[in-house]
Amino acid sequence: MPHPGARLRDRYAIVGVGQSEIGEVPGSTALGLLTTAMKNAIEDAGLTNKDIDGIISRGPDDIYCHHQRMGQRLGINARFSTSLDNGGASQILAIALACMAIDAGLCHTVVTGFGRNSWSRKESSEQNRMGVNLRPVEQQEQEFRPEFGYFGEAATHAFGARRHMALYGTTKEQLGHVAITFRKHASKNPCAQKREPLTMEQYLTARLIADPFCLYDCSLVTDGAGAVVVTSAERARDLKQRPVYISGFGFHNNLRGWFFDEHMTDTAAKQAAAEAYAMAGIGPQDVDTAQLYDCFTYMVIVQLEDYGFCKKGEGGPFVASGALDLDGALPTNTSGGQLSEGHVEGMLQIVEAVHQLRGDRPPDRQVPHCEVAVVSGHGGNTVCHSSLILRRAP
Amino acid sequence: MSEAYAKPLPVPTPESQPFWDAVRRHELRLQRCQACGQFWFPPSNVCPECLSPAWAWELVSGRGTVFSFVVMHRAYHPGFRNELPYNVAVIALEEGPRLVSNVVGCRNEELYVGMPVEVVFDDVTDTVTLPKFRPRPGA
Repeated sequence: MPHPGARLRDRYAIVGVGQSEIGEVPGSTALGLLTTAMKNAIEDAGLTNKDIDGIISRGPDDIYCHHQRMGQRLGINARFSTSLDNGGASQILAIALACMAIDAGLCHTVVTGFGRNSWSRKESSEQNRMGVNLRPVEQQEQEFRPEFGYFGEAATHAFGARRHMALYGTTKEQLGHVAITFRKHASKNPCAQKREPLTMEQYLTARLIADPFCLYDCSLVTDGAGAVVVTSAERARDLKQRPVYISGFGFHNNLRGWFFDEHMTDTAAKQAAAEAYAMAGIGPQDVDTAQLYDCFTYMVIVQLEDYGFCKKGEGGPFVASGALDLDGALPTNTSGGQLSEGHVEGMLQIVEAVHQLRGDRPPDRQVPHCEVAVVSGHGGNTVCHSSLILRRAP
Repeated sequence: MSEAYAKPLPVPTPESQPFWDAVRRHELRLQRCQACGQFWFPPSNVCPECLSPAWAWELVSGRGTVFSFVVMHRAYHPGFRNELPYNVAVIALEEGPRLVSNVVGCRNEELYVGMPVEVVFDDVTDTVTLPKFRPRPGA
């Protein structure tokens, strides 16, 4: 029995991608960065703002009705538009929602994207520099956490890493392999925020943040934006770029919480990936590159397991084997990921997957024979997962 | 002593106030469904298993194990600056629910996943008590 979503398989495509300047961009605004990225994506597709009739966007949580601001800036009265509120799982959700809206006849060409100016916001005050928590105050936890000194996303994910270490023997060095490999990829990416090489010795002696995490286990604080244009496969054939088909997507949300059951070590990625594979009609063995949501090194290890690239508990040895290298078994986060290229809430992972599938990266960054890519998104309070499978047009 | 206490204090909601009132009396109480018997945490107005609105704040054993823990080396709040490094642990209570706290009475290096612990009550100000956990003797 085919997955009900298989009806949509390869019927919609990403036809344009764009990004803004990435990294430390003094004076940048979240809306301005995303405006640049969306403009670049529209132009990359060979389209103009007059061709866009849908907008799905996301930015910092304190910008109300974000999509309205984007439509105003880009001169678009959209037939279909909304903002999303699912953390790092939002960006793939936006692409899936675009496919569904086009399929329902509500619009025909949608621009989606995410932009933030987190580095600039962090630098704007001593209080922000200390907290690094850029959420609006009214969204921060007021009990059961701060009074015990529990702050920050690093601690949340480090609880998962610690438990994975206890259950499966995962080591600090294995976490380090993730950080070092992605830094190696970023060193070849002129747009990346951190490009200087990282050694295992530097990693193992780095300043601790929330043990078992050190500085290099944590993703960057970034100013930046990314965007894509989605339309039907039929329209895509007449546009400028080689289309990248949207073959599958899947979602799962462990809303009972990160502390519930074994959600820290068997994450929502497992069910989301299963949905996406079923919709696309493929399995992990068919995937040529993975672009995974790497807010912290541990999340790469656990997602590799939950996506079926290795068995549960074997994510550590898998990354230590060199599998994530450009010439490894599963080239992963080939632009440097959020750990080194910049943390744009999963958006740059989507952009990178599209470039890899088009085959337009320079030879020292291009995954050979890249036909199928998996992209992941992870967010909310660590419990929401989105999964995307993209395929190069034949 | 309250004027010297520089760390954040809990800001209870109407739903969580009974929890804090109980720990002030040195009792650990959690909501328990009177229909299906489940305990849950954090507080809510219906049972998350069967959605029954019939529940009571029942005394729990205070015994549990360390489900996971981190050792904080970075101060996100000035009140913790002099405590670095300090631990934050997720405690799995025998009754099921898991809650965040600190393990006291042992060094951070002695902590491990699965460590048996029991509740202790830390009267941090004249009006606020925090439930913390210590290694359980004889376990």
